[in-house]
Parts: sequence; C-alpha cells; structure tokens
Amino acid sequence: MSHDDPARRWRLLRRSSRRIREDVDDELAFHREMRERELVAAGLPAEAARRRALEEFGDIAALREACAAEDVRGERDERRADWLADLRQDLAHAARAALRAPGFTAIVVLTLALGIGLNAAIFGVVHRILVAPLPYADAEGLVRIYGRHLDRADERGQLSAADVVDFREAQRSFASIGVFRYAGGTLAGDAEARRLDGAGISPNLLSVLGVRPALGRDFREGEGVQGGQRVALVTDALWRSAFGGDSAAIGRTMLLNEQPHTIVGVLPPGFRWPAWEASFLVPLDLGAALADANRARKFHFLGAFARLRPGVDAARAEADLAAIARELERRHPEANEGMGVRVLPLRESIAGEARRALLLVGAAAALVLLVACANVAGLLLARGVTRQRELAVRAALGAGRGRLARQLLAESVFLAAIGGAVAALLASPGAAALARLGAPVLPESIPAEPGPAVFALAAAVTLASVVVFGLAPAMIGARGAVSGLREGPRGATEGAGRSGVRRALVVGQMALAVVLLIGAGLLGRSLLELRRVALGFDPTRLFTFDVVLAAQRYATSAAQDAFFEELLGRLRALPGVVDVGSGAALPLAGGSSASLVIDGIPHESSAPPEVGYTPVSDDYFRALRIPLLRGRAFDARDHEDATGVVIVNESAARLHWGDADPVGARVRLGPDPSQPWSVVVGVVGDVRNQAPDAEPRPTAYVSSRQDHWGFARIVVRTSGDPTESIGAVRHELRRLDPMVPLGDAQTMEDRLSDALAGRRLPLVMLGGFAALALVLAALGIYGVTAYAVAARTREFGVRLALGARPGGLLAMVVGEGTRSALLGLAIGIALSAAGARVLGRLLYGVGTLDWPTYAGAAAVLLTAALLACWVPARRATRVDPADALRLE
Amino acid sequence: MAPSDSLELMQGTVDILVLRTLAWAPMHGYAISRWIRERTAGALALENAALYPALHRLERRKLVTATWGTSETGRRAKFYELTPLGRKQLRTATATWRSYVDAVLKVLSPAEG
Repeated sequence: MSHDDPARRWRLLRRSSRRIREDVDDELAFHREMRERELVAAGLPAEAARRRALEEFGDIAALREACAAEDVRGERDERRADWLADLRQDLAHAARAALRAPGFTAIVVLTLALGIGLNAAIFGVVHRILVAPLPYADAEGLVRIYGRHLDRADERGQLSAADVVDFREAQRSFASIGVFRYAGGTLAGDAEARRLDGAGISPNLLSVLGVRPALGRDFREGEGVQGGQRVALVTDALWRSAFGGDSAAIGRTMLLNEQPHTIVGVLPPGFRWPAWEASFLVPLDLGAALADANRARKFHFLGAFARLRPGVDAARAEADLAAIARELERRHPEANEGMGVRVLPLRESIAGEARRALLLVGAAAALVLLVACANVAGLLLARGVTRQRELAVRAALGAGRGRLARQLLAESVFLAAIGGAVAALLASPGAAALARLGAPVLPESIPAEPGPAVFALAAAVTLASVVVFGLAPAMIGARGAVSGLREGPRGATEGAGRSGVRRALVVGQMALAVVLLIGAGLLGRSLLELRRVALGFDPTRLFTFDVVLAAQRYATSAAQDAFFEELLGRLRALPGVVDVGSGAALPLAGGSSASLVIDGIPHESSAPPEVGYTPVSDDYFRALRIPLLRGRAFDARDHEDATGVVIVNESAARLHWGDADPVGARVRLGPDPSQPWSVVVGVVGDVRNQAPDAEPRPTAYVSSRQDHWGFARIVVRTSGDPTESIGAVRHELRRLDPMVPLGDAQTMEDRLSDALAGRRLPLVMLGGFAALALVLAALGIYGVTAYAVAARTREFGVRLALGARPGGLLAMVVGEGTRSALLGLAIGIALSAAGARVLGRLLYGVGTLDWPTYAGAAAVLLTAALLACWVPARRATRVDPADALRLE
Repeated sequence: MAPSDSLELMQGTVDILVLRTLAWAPMHGYAISRWIRERTAGALALENAALYPALHRLERRKLVTATWGTSETGRRAKFYELTPLGRKQLRTATATWRSYVDAVLKVLSPAEG
C-alpha cells in the first residue's frame, strides 16, 4: 500500500476497542430492527416479532465478541502496516536525503564503516581467543596446573613427577588430573624426513579433556611403559597429510624418531592440543622418572591438565594444592623448598600473554569508534543547521516534533546501516589480517574463522553507534525546527545549545585522540628502549636451526660427538660462513636449569640455588660474539673423560661469587650428590637468554662433549645475508644423514622480531588507531571552524568594513579552535595519566608519566588542530565586506 | 478445501455466498441475509451467527470494505462493498466450487440411474 492511498488516510483515525464494540452493537441492532419491521409487516404482533428477531441471533453476546475480535485483529494489522509504511517512507526519505549530499554521505559512511569494521575485526579475534567455546567437553571445568617458585607470582612452570603423584593422591578438588610433556618427533617420509611437534601424555589425559578419537581408540592404562608396544595417536591434519585420510591407517605403523609406532587412533578434526601445536600424541609413563631418586622431585618437566570437581573453582583448587605443596616443602626441603603451584582456568592458560594485548587493542578500537561517532554527530548537527528551513517547513505543515525526530533518526539509521554493511564486508578480511599480524603472539591452539558472532557484534555496534551519534542531533534538530521558520531567510545562526554540543563533541574527540596518541607513544618508546637494550650478543647475520638425533642410531656419546664434529666442520667450510657453534639453547629462548652447589660456599636455604644450564660447543661463544671476560673457552682438552668444566656468565659470577674470581672454583651442577666436582674455567658476558625484555638469568655453560643431549641448536655466522646459506646448509645435512631433518630454520633477527611481536602488535594497532583518531578529530575541528566561519561571514564583513585587520580575525578564529583543542588535550592527558597503568608489562623502560611522550602527543595534536583551524580561518580574512553586507 | 473439516467448508460456503451477493451491489448485513433468502426461495437460510463473523472476517482480509451510511429507513447502517481483491477471490472460489460440485455429481449420478 502506498502512503497516499486515500483509504489509508481515512483509517488514520484509529478506532479504540470500545468504539469497535459500539459499532458492532449498532450494526446488529440495525439488523434486528429491520427484521422486526419485516415480521410486523408480515402480520406478527410487535412483541412476538421482537422476540423472534432476537432469537434468530442465537447467542448474541458470543456473536458480538466474535465480530469485535475480528475487528480488533484487523485494527492491529492495519497499525503494523502503517508503521512499516511510515518506516519505509522514512527510509526512502533518508535515502533521498543521502543522495542529495553524496560527499557528506560518503564521509559519514566511511567514518562509521572504519569505526565499526575495526571493532568487528578485533572482536573477531578477541572472541576467538577469549570467548568462543574451546574444543573440549565442558571446557569451563578444565584447568592447567603450573609449578612455580613461591617468589615468582606470575611464573608458569613445570611440575616434577613425584610431586604430581603426591598431588594426585592428596588433592580433593579435581575429578581427574592428566600430565604431559613435550615430545618432538622426526617423521620418516617417502621423500624427506620432517620434524613434528607432539606431546607425551598420560593415558587418561584425553578423557580428562573430554576428547575421544574420531577413529580407532584412546590410549589404555599402562601403555607407554618402557619395553611395551609403541603406539601413537595422530591429529586429523597429520592423518590427512601423511596417510591420505585413509581409515586403513589405524593399525599401521609410522616411523617416528626411527622407531615404529602403531597408530591406534585419529583425533577429531576440531581437536587442538591445548598447550602448543601438536601433530601426534604418544603415551607417557612416569615409571622411569619416578625411579630415579635424584630426579624424581628435582626434574621439573611435566605439564598438567585437570578437571575440577563440580562446585570447585580454580582458586579453591589452587589453595588445596598449595597446602599439599607446603607439606611437600616440609617433607622434601632439599628439592621442594620455595616451590608452589598455580592453577589457571584452561582458557586463561591458552590465551596467555595475548590476553592483555587483545583487551588493550579492543579498548583502543572502542575509543576510535567513539571518536568516529562524535565526528558523525558533529557532521549531522552541522548539516541540521543547513536543513533547518526544510525541517521548519515540514513542522509548519503539521509534522510533530516526535515525527521529525523520528525522521532524523531514520536518516541516522540509514547511514549507520550502510556503514555497518561496509564494515561487515571489511570485518572478515580485517580479522584475518589481524590474526596474521598477531600470529607469533596469538595462541595457535584455537581455530581461526570469524563466525556469525562477529557479524552480530557489527550489527549491535552499529545500533549502539546510532544511539550515540544519531539521537542528540535528531532531538536538537526537531526542537529547532518548530521555531525555525520564524527566523526567516537569515537562517544560519546557530543556537547556543547546538554550538555548545558541537564544541563538546570536538573536545571529546580531541581528548580521545590524545589518549590513543599517548598510549601508542608509550608503547613505541618501550619498543625503542628494547631495541637499545644490550642483548649481549650480535644477532645480525646469524642463521639458526635445530638438529635432533635418533636415540637408536646415535646411542653412544661418541657417535653423537662424531656427528656434530663432522656437521660443524662441514658447515664451517662452506663459502660465506664465518663461524659455527652449537648449544642446547640459543639466547632469547629460555632453556633448562640445574641446581648449583659450590665447594666451600654453603647455600642459605635447604635447596641449592638454581641456575640456567646449557651444554655448548667450543665455538658457541665466538659464533654468537659473546665476550669471554675471564679464563678460557671450552676446547679439545675438555673431552668426556676429562674433569668436568663449567663457564658461568657474569650474573652468576656476581650473584654467587661476588667480587671473588670464580675461575678455579669447584662446583657441582645437577641433583646427583655423588657426581664428581667440576671446575669453573671461565666467565662470559651476560646475554638476554630468556627474552629481550627479561633480565639475563644467571647461567652455567658446560661443554657439549661432557653432557650429551643428542640435540643441538646450531648457529651459523655468515659474511653476507644469512638466508642465502640455507640451501647449502640443508644440502650438507642431508649428505651427512638424510634421516635428520633441518628443524626450525630461522635467522636470529627473525627470532628477535618474533620475540618482540607481542609488543609490536599492540603498538602497530594503537599507532594506526591513534592516527585514525587524530585525522577524525582534525576533521571534526575543521568542520566546526569552517561552519562557524561560514555562519559569521556577515559579521566578519562588518568587522573588516569597520577596520579590523585580517590578521586579527585569523587569530580570533584560530584562537577559538585552539581553545577546544587545548581543553581536549588537558582532558586527554588527565585520562592518560590515570589510565596508562593498563599498559602494565607492555611498558619497558618508560614510566606511565613519561613526559617526552606526553609532550610529543601534545605537539602532534596541537599542530593538527592549528592546521585544521587555519584553513577555514584564512577564508574569514578574505571576506569582501561589500559582498558580506549585500547578503542580507 | 479440506472435505474432512466441515466447519471450514461451512465457512467457505458462507464467504462465497456473501461475496456473490455483494457482487450485485454494496449492501448492509440485513440486505445480504434477505437477498440470499429470497434468491434461494428460502432453501438456504443464512444464520446471523454465521453471516456477521463472515462479514467482519472478509473485511479484515480486505475482500470487502465497509463504510457507515444511511439506510433506506434513514438509519445509520454499515454498508459492505466488494474490493477488487474480493472480486478476484469470488472468481477463483466460484471455479473451485463448480469443479467440486461436478466431481460430487459424477460420483452420485450412477446411483440415481
């Protein structure tokens, strides 16, 4: 039905339900009267005629109700149709209005699309990591149990085998606990062996997680015991890539670390190992670890997932385990003193460090949306002024204030809907790009597709922004319209209330832009500080990779020595290679630890102190350019049967020997008290061995000839681009042993970059947001100033005619804009000073009140604001007084 | 039309009779009832309890419109008029009825002969 249908206009006079009943009564009464008259005419007495006419109706009350009910329903349908028709009319009107001002429409739509799209994209990632259901049954009841030193509250450490057994027996908080450790594997293939990450798990762990294999079976209790049949579960992805997705793969063997493993099951497609990206699972038996009395409690290598009993939360479970840990400290002080536990909900454990960065980026995106909404509100208000006459005419023609407000709101809804639609198109690729950018920081164990939740959020944000930016202009516009026509053709003078709102919007935008600028500035300064940090080694022109030797073929230490000696020698002979070294750990990446006992220096606590522990080759320090400060490096003298030798780093020397020279001191590393003393032969410089932003850990290096791990990380220092040597390195390795794959090949600078990605992601995002907010805020202040200049053309003309100097006018206009900017700046600085704490550990080397950052942000903002005001202000000085006066 | 549902059938019958009557001219309810009675020589007496709900239902479905006018006796009365939609509905319903009646007759006729 079109809105000019005359029937509909007639029906605009709505009937109440009382009126409907009266009409029905009247209609039925008329029938009765006519029938009575007819019967009387046929000869019936009046009384009988009346009775008969009434009888013919039967149950008249029911009839009356039936008719009235139909009418009431009809009435309701009509109203709904009217409402829809009005809406359609409003939207059609809004579309026409939008098309009349295409430039305005484009700016508004683009601004909103950016604001909404940004939020939707970021929400996509936030949702995926912090909200979306995890691929485990009743995941809310799952936790991860970490070991920690009592003096390191945030530590997420490992557990020892004996402690796990005691926890399992004494705890009352968990329905079940499963343990795991990292298991790397070399998978022999048709063409080339490849390295896979996997996990050794206690046979109950999958049922703790509530996961059942999609094919085949779960591990059985007792599997994994030494000497038993080797079995493995594979992920859906590995099953497809290595076994062609053939269900006959169950029962077949795969050659893992050169040992046949029977595949007993395939994990479901959605399954992700919750601790890292694992391709296979093998059963883990703690028997061997428990049997070694020296290591059972001292060797911390286990992770644990557990299912809470109903009604128990992570905090209570932690308190339960902490009490057990205290008892273990008392009973086994030599191993357990100072050791505690930490219980985190599984989701928190998976989100890890990404959580803070994501929430921060999400909050920043919300600020950008606020700026965008303020901007659009300002634009709508400004446009409202130029449309005042149109609205006034409509008001004069009988449109009520509510109807006009509704019309204006419909225009906002229309603009927001288009903006939201564009945003929805941007959201999916945006979220994907964000996930790529964040790949080094974001947990891998959660699937990555942005679902309908993202679009639902985009829609919700769109609606919310309509309320924020559309409502005030609509109400102000409608109010103005009713009195608007009286003001005559002079029109464009802004009401005080309206201009106040617009100034407030500009101040708000400025303040938010300042907050984002300062936030990005603090993060940027942190990254700069980190870049300046002395890493202790030279990361340039270094190529690094891993080598793992199969335990069977390289069973003896002599065989391992021979392999590494040969490999390092061949690599050193390659053209463009300067130095080659190997070690069990590289800088920046953490590593193992061992207890340190020093002959003649008793330790203060029951348990000896722990230091980092890294077996390295002779040339490790030279290849990494770690300076030797005292004593000597390892060399050929330090063979397996010679006295054990140790090199400590500067931190360890300072911590344990103070001013004394550690060279020559006798030390024992590791838990075995029967081990002979080793001798400290040298001191090397500190390197950032944990992470670029963590202080160096006191560390002891031993010779890889004296402690064989069958595993090494190899560093190759080149004279040119290190990536160019990768082909030759791979070739040499394959010639030496084709069954040994080149693992985790990367330049050291890439490793450094990945290690800083957790800081770069929020910096890049916040930086981008700050730039966007700055542009929007500048546009906002430009709009207000330009409008004010246009509206006061006549005033300026008069002033110029009366002898005002153009420079004075310029200063006046710019001054007004600058006042808003300064007020916004002050508010923004106050907000930042109060809120910068949320950056927390993302800050490095700068305080939350770092004044150069604040000053820089202020300078950027004021420059932008001045520029934005200056352009329209110059226009004010070019007003021709004669023209301006003629305008009247 | 579901033959098992006699009420539905009744309703449909009343509707088609009312529409047919209004195709003649706009009338009020009483006139409709009288017109049907006279046209069928009293064979079909349309109960008021069926007629008026049918009229209000047809009005809601926009097959007829109603206006308040003045009757031949000078009293305020509600006049019903067929809408274009109602006219269309009458045509299709009539065709359906014809084929229904034909079908029923085909079944019944051998028993007569």
